Amino acid sequence: MNFRQFAYRNVVRKKRTYAAHFLSSAFSVMAFFIYAVLLYHPDLQGQLTSSSATASYLATMGLRVSQYFIFIFSFLFLLYSTGAFLKARKKEFGILLVLGMTEKQRMKLTFAENMLIGLAAIGCGIGVGLLFTKLMLLASARLLMLEEGLRFYLPLQAVWMTASAFALLFLVVSILTIRVGYQSSALELMKGDEKPKPEPKASIWLSLLAVLLIAAGYAMVFYFVNKQAYFMPLLALAIGCVVLGTYFLFTQLSVYVLRALKSRKSFLFRGINLMTFTDMAYRIRDNANMYFMVATVMAVAFSGIGACLSVGDPGRTEKQYPYAFTYWYHSEHGDQAEGAVVHIDEMLKVEGHSFQRAQLDWIDTGHSSYPIVSLTQFNKLAGIRGFDPYLLHSDEWLIASGVFARISGKFYNEPVIEALAMTQEGNGQSSLRLKERVDEAIIALDNDVIVLRDEEIARLIEKGAVSSTVMYYAVPTWEKTLELAKQLQSDLPVDFAGGGQLSALAIEHYHERQMNGILLIISVLVGVVFFTFAASFIYFRLYADVERDEKQLGMTSKLGLSPKELGRLMTRQLSVMFFLPFLIGMVHSGIAFINMANLTKTSMLSNSLMIYGAFLGIQLLYFLLIRWRYLSRMRKKLV
Amino acid sequence: MDVLEVKSLNKVYPGNVPYRALNDIDLNVAKGEFVGIMGPSGSGKTTLLNVVSTIDRPTSGHVLLNGAAPFRLLPEGLARFRRRELGFVFQSFNLLDTMTVVENIVLPLTLDRMKVDDMMDRARQIAEKLGITGILDKRTYEISGGQAQRTAIARALIHQPQLVLADEPTGNLDSKSARDVMELMSSLNKGEGATMLLVTHDAMAASYCDRVVFIKDGRTYSEVHCGDNRNAFYQKILNVLSLLGGNGHEFPTIRV
Repeated sequence: MNFRQFAYRNVVRKKRTYAAHFLSSAFSVMAFFIYAVLLYHPDLQGQLTSSSATASYLATMGLRVSQYFIFIFSFLFLLYSTGAFLKARKKEFGILLVLGMTEKQRMKLTFAENMLIGLAAIGCGIGVGLLFTKLMLLASARLLMLEEGLRFYLPLQAVWMTASAFALLFLVVSILTIRVGYQSSALELMKGDEKPKPEPKASIWLSLLAVLLIAAGYAMVFYFVNKQAYFMPLLALAIGCVVLGTYFLFTQLSVYVLRALKSRKSFLFRGINLMTFTDMAYRIRDNANMYFMVATVMAVAFSGIGACLSVGDPGRTEKQYPYAFTYWYHSEHGDQAEGAVVHIDEMLKVEGHSFQRAQLDWIDTGHSSYPIVSLTQFNKLAGIRGFDPYLLHSDEWLIASGVFARISGKFYNEPVIEALAMTQEGNGQSSLRLKERVDEAIIALDNDVIVLRDEEIARLIEKGAVSSTVMYYAVPTWEKTLELAKQLQSDLPVDFAGGGQLSALAIEHYHERQMNGILLIISVLVGVVFFTFAASFIYFRLYADVERDEKQLGMTSKLGLSPKELGRLMTRQLSVMFFLPFLIGMVHSGIAFINMANLTKTSMLSNSLMIYGAFLGIQLLYFLLIRWRYLSRMRKKLV
Repeated sequence: MDVLEVKSLNKVYPGNVPYRALNDIDLNVAKGEFVGIMGPSGSGKTTLLNVVSTIDRPTSGHVLLNGAAPFRLLPEGLARFRRRELGFVFQSFNLLDTMTVVENIVLPLTLDRMKVDDMMDRARQIAEKLGITGILDKRTYEISGGQAQRTAIARALIHQPQLVLADEPTGNLDSKSARDVMELMSSLNKGEGATMLLVTHDAMAASYCDRVVFIKDGRTYSEVHCGDNRNAFYQKILNVLSLLGGNGHEFPTIRV
């Protein structure tokens, strides 16, 4: 057995110890590789660019950024897990030192082991990634609605990049962790973890600071969003505060809370409470760092996915902009536009689509930022959407809700009333009475719209108000009009100044689906990778303690700890471990969601519930699995 | 009345070559008696203690504790039985290092959900008897081996068990602490009337017993009773040991 064989056998014969470490490394390699395959796909960029420049930019940037994220977190993750493993092997190193191994040889051994695992993880990650490449390409092509699909290719560039990036990463991690477990005397190593740690000390000030920092961070984010103080350093400061606060929350405040619980004798000395809480207090120092990391990683994962999902809410366009074709033109280009409208009509007839159209003239008086339309035209548009006509008396007017108001469900009448008053005043007319606000999806414009009786409109035009015209087409079979829309867009003038502008729901919808697809791919992969890291952190922490737990529980069972009590004890300890950081991550991301919703004026409730539900489900499954394995292992030690 | 009644006890460890660890052992321990079990390595002392303490199941034979057969109980009942009727003292103390001394002592009582005031009273009383009042709030790594073993004895006795089982309680202690611990156990046996079963290698420790049973190859070999003179008893033990194993070098040369 030479030295390399020794290192190899050390790893291979401790499969179970290294399984989680290896699997999660391999997993992050795989995720990185999948991103790389997409990023370097020769067809993807071309097709996305041809359909939309934004989608292409988003795809490239999104994939890049997620790759960086995965890379950075892989580094931190590997640093932590490698360090944890080496610490757990102190005793073994002690024996080796006693047998005459030099410190240099020990370093060589750990280095060789780390590199061995690293190379295996790279190989496995890329291998499995390659196996799934075709499947993944098919799924992406479907999600991104690429007509030509994505053909399978041998992603040599991706393989090369992934392999070299992670080889470098493992090398750096191996070098950085080489001194872990260094101890001046072999005796100290051999005693290893037998030496119990002193109870952690917590300062009341730092505990208070934890609460204060988190509160301040939250407050800053709310200030950022609600007061519209879009000042990036403020946001960065807020995130910094929350992260630091979370750290103190776990390392300081939790110690404080536990100590307070422990000082209540009637509570502490009841049943398994004594064992639960003394044990928690004992481990808090080790666990605090892990809890902190898991909570942070989960908060990032949740917020990331939430952000992606909120940007790409499928079907948003369709619900709010329900017209298959919209043709805008300035009133002065009327003649040209008529030709275009006739052309669109003909094309639709040729293709056999039934349609209805209605015209809206936007009156701009220069006094209000809200466009004004006439009741007759508005009623006609409402008619093709299937709504009954609205009636107005001589001194009445309507507000028709725009897309922003409809999505957010927040209606502010005041500014609209004020705008109308200004207009009327500017024209020397008497003020009108607001009859009602129309919330139906009729107006396909972001802002609210003022609806006036035709007489008022005529008076405004007399005073020299200019107008632009929009022709709306409602086509029930709009989903099949993508080709037609593309054809029309190339036939008609492209820009507003050149006569008119055509936008088609089919094309918008297509772009939306592509964007959503990209965001979905990115968020799901990033979320899954982060979640795997979080899960692995928990696993390592548990694994580091398993032998101690076995010993202690075996001991306690001799004193009369029954199997049922053992089950309850383990459930308590594990549920704190699994769900406390999860909960904190949830709270942080919840605050982020509330603010994102306020910022984008959309509701994030369903999205966030979906994210939490999905992750809670997975976490629960993971919890049950680990509890089952751990309990069955502990039960063996029961007498 | 006998607290412990062991009748024709057999223990066979199955395997390709089955190993018979205990062979037809009979042992009775009367209430208030302090019985030692001695024998060379591999003679089955610890197996016997494990079976008596319900940690291990016998292959055949009876173990009756106060007339009850614990092995008829289900795991839950067995755990409850151990926490109420038995007390343990181990060679390696087996204190939980997550807890303070007093928390370790009252652990069997908390598992049984006793009232806090009562258990604290009891802990104080027993700590006084064992001379560990001053260290009650210390953590286990802050106390010496002798103190740790006294803590373990306090834990074994706090719920006033029917039978205290001690497995090499002096094995990890220096001779001064070992003597202190044995004297303490002996005085608790006399003063509190605690019934004790002690497994040991150490003839000095065994000499504190009322009676020592010798085991060899899983069978009872002989039995020595303590008369009035502990020195003579010690000598008798040494004599049997030398007959038993013939390894004279195992014994301490210094006489107590």
